Amino acid sequence: MLACLLILVIMLARLTTIMLVKSEEYGQMARDIQERERSIKAPRGIIYDRNGNVIAGNKPVCSISVIHSQITDKEEVIRVLSEKLELDDAEVRKKVEKVSSREKIKSNVDKAIADEIRALDLDGVMVDEDYKRYYPYSTLASKVIGFTGGDNQGIVGLEVMYDDVLMGTDGSIKTLTDARGIEIPNVAETRVEPIAGNNLIISIDVNIQQYIEQMAAEILEKRNAKRVCIIVMNPQNGEIYAMTDYPEYNLNDPFTLTYTPEEGISNEDALNNMWRNFCINDTYEPGSTFKIVTATSAFEEGVLTENDGFYCPGYKIVEDRKIRCHKVVGHGSETFKEGIMNSCNPVFMEIGARVGANQFYYYMDKLGLFEKTGVDLPGEANSIFHKLENVGSVELATMSFGQSFQITPLQLMRAVSAIINGGTLVTPHFGVYITDENNNIIDRLEYETVEGVVSEETSETMKYLLEAVVSEGTGKNAYIEGYTIGGKTATSEKLPRSSNKYISSFIGFAPADNPQVLTLVLIDEPEGVYYGGTIAAPVVADIYTNILPYLGIEKK
Amino acid sequence: MASNHQAVSSQQNKRRAEKDEPWIVSGGYFDFQTLFLTIIIVLIGLMMVYSASSYKAVLYTGDSAYFVKKQARFALFGLFVVYAVSRVNYKKYKIFSKVMMVGAIALCGIVFILGISTNGATRWIPIGSFQFQPSEVAKIAIIIYMSHVCVVQLKNLETLGGIFRMCLLPIICIGLIAIENLSTAIVCAGVMIVILFVSSPKFLNIVAFALICVAGAAVMLFATGYRTDRIDAWLHPETSEHGFQTMQSLYAIGSGGLFGRGLGQSIQKMGFLPESHNDMIFSVICEELGLFGALGIMILFVMLLMRMWFIAKHTEDSFGGFIVTGVMTHIAVQLIINIGVVTNTIPPTGVTLPLISYGGTSLVTMLIEIGLVLSVSRRIKPINAS
Repeated sequence: MLACLLILVIMLARLTTIMLVKSEEYGQMARDIQERERSIKAPRGIIYDRNGNVIAGNKPVCSISVIHSQITDKEEVIRVLSEKLELDDAEVRKKVEKVSSREKIKSNVDKAIADEIRALDLDGVMVDEDYKRYYPYSTLASKVIGFTGGDNQGIVGLEVMYDDVLMGTDGSIKTLTDARGIEIPNVAETRVEPIAGNNLIISIDVNIQQYIEQMAAEILEKRNAKRVCIIVMNPQNGEIYAMTDYPEYNLNDPFTLTYTPEEGISNEDALNNMWRNFCINDTYEPGSTFKIVTATSAFEEGVLTENDGFYCPGYKIVEDRKIRCHKVVGHGSETFKEGIMNSCNPVFMEIGARVGANQFYYYMDKLGLFEKTGVDLPGEANSIFHKLENVGSVELATMSFGQSFQITPLQLMRAVSAIINGGTLVTPHFGVYITDENNNIIDRLEYETVEGVVSEETSETMKYLLEAVVSEGTGKNAYIEGYTIGGKTATSEKLPRSSNKYISSFIGFAPADNPQVLTLVLIDEPEGVYYGGTIAAPVVADIYTNILPYLGIEKK
Repeated sequence: MASNHQAVSSQQNKRRAEKDEPWIVSGGYFDFQTLFLTIIIVLIGLMMVYSASSYKAVLYTGDSAYFVKKQARFALFGLFVVYAVSRVNYKKYKIFSKVMMVGAIALCGIVFILGISTNGATRWIPIGSFQFQPSEVAKIAIIIYMSHVCVVQLKNLETLGGIFRMCLLPIICIGLIAIENLSTAIVCAGVMIVILFVSSPKFLNIVAFALICVAGAAVMLFATGYRTDRIDAWLHPETSEHGFQTMQSLYAIGSGGLFGRGLGQSIQKMGFLPESHNDMIFSVICEELGLFGALGIMILFVMLLMRMWFIAKHTEDSFGGFIVTGVMTHIAVQLIINIGVVTNTIPPTGVTLPLISYGGTSLVTMLIEIGLVLSVSRRIKPINAS
């Protein structure tokens, strides 16, 4: 009897251990098998432009699945689903007949169709609400916005950069089921409400973006170019109003190629190329637009005044090399102001030599040319420069007029912004505000700025000189009535030089004395006329004619 | 010579006295506590069988009370049996204890010829639409036979060989049972050894005999792969392929906590836990009634066992005492094995929770045994009883 009691006490101790100490653990394990969790999808945050237009939104869709054990009229289910969802009868039959707890028939089903199916109230057919990312402007700023994947996760562009912000937290309904997966009635279900993702307000202006894309499309066609990049930015704070790397692609159908790839390129690479944003993901030789940086360095170094005299015979001998000016017969005698208006290479070789490689690199560093701009887009490329110790006279001379190194278009925009805004190095960016579900601002995004990278004085001089380039020099095609515009043209010969392929560009700002907009137009491989001053500058004139009044910048 | 003669004559007197015993007894002391405890446990059992089986009953028969109705009929029948058996003078069983034992062996043999298999083990004999388990009947036979031989063959208890001679028939029976149903064989062997133990003055002999039985059981245990699988399932229930039932049982018990989910609220009974109304009913009790419910049921059993202990100590003759001890052992061993299995304290094996688990034969057998105890209790002097 005593032994029996003893054993029973041991059993009781064991029971107590399981039921109290390990209760949590076993209870959880039990719930894991007893509960069926259905997730309630959280809507992804919306991306708005600066005026509150929806650039990336959500479309309610449904996913249809079947629960094998609950189907009562198999044939009817197969008939209805294959008919309504426009699926192959045999395919649906296979899924319906498969013995599994839950089999998904189709996702991303239009809500109207899903509602029809739901209305039929077929046993064992489940209709679950879901959201699909939807881009109302389809191709607009595609290379900036990016798109999402099957689980609404960001894949490229702002969608991936701000994934944490935009992504909501899925909710769930947990219901107890028996071993066959049938929900047990009258048992309280645990419901966790989904939390919608936060919204993102970006600096892009849909109207400007649409306009520059329209311009880019025209130029692309007219010049039969490979691509046209246009960036419109506020040089004072780095907000990007518009950015295109035309042709764009359809964000609602991002896996369909818009071009025929060369042979031997895999579909994956072809898609990556299509999604690639030249403005930030690729580098190029900026050419003459870079003379802005060279001149700034010389003014900062104190080795140049605007009235310094130069002589251009059409070339300059550097060490044993004869480096030509674009004007073969030479510009003759000229002041520096005339030199920059003529975009005369020997003048800039001369002042580059005056600054010297060491100091030139020092000023380029100050202008942020050795670092990424910090733009809020993924995969930004960095510049490619000679190592300072490898820069001889020849390298220095070519760098002075924008050759023998590569930067991204956005790096140029950033450096020029600092030069014309009084010396503040800004971070180009898109994201401005983060708002909650009810559009209350919960965060204002801050970006790094460095003040005093260029002196006020140099900045004033540069604005004056660049205004002269447009009013009287190579950039005169960018001139528009009633506005002062500053700018610089460039015609860069692509590598290898023998290919005779060019990038024609123009960077221009307005108003010249207090720049509010900085625009870079870059035409890659135009056919026919390829001078930046001839084909890129008029684009800027056209853009400014339209957007300056739109932005509320008064005519003088 | 004289003393010898006296001894013979006293034995003759005793035999004569036994012959004069009436077949039917009435009046005297009756241990109502045992009866009431039994009824309470059986009623709780019916309640829990209903709770644990209703899901399956609806699923397979459409009637949620299908199993509990069957079980209730057995319980009602069993209560008449309790009364009837308690009226029969247990001393008369001595007359056919051997016949019962041989009969039980025969039934356990017949099972192999006529038996029906469920879950891979042949344990049932069909009688019309009704099936019964001979191994259950064998338990009663062993209790009575062992109690009898321990009274009449006291001398044999002196030697190990003598013990084996005494236990020859039960061992054959247990051996037959063990082939198909090791757990029942262990219960029977436990009953046999405990009766020997209380009757024997020679403690060591019984220990030696018990060790031999354990060794025999161990050989049986490892003789077949099926059983070593069970050891694996016991040690590593999470990973073993045979550990499913054990894990489901632990889930159920663990879900119970201190006060349980509430009567009828078990989730594990909904197809997750196999044998939920049968061998695993204690898991459902734990899940629904919590640690307190489980403790309450264990206390009821302990009270019942203590009542029997009391009756065994105060019986008029050692035969009655041995019978009650046998019944006690039967209940205690099954209780311990059942709780041990559901809590994974011992390797998994199929033993019912006495008086509670679903199963007609085992319930009626148990109630017959209770009847035997009550029959013995009638011979206690009321003065002692108070």
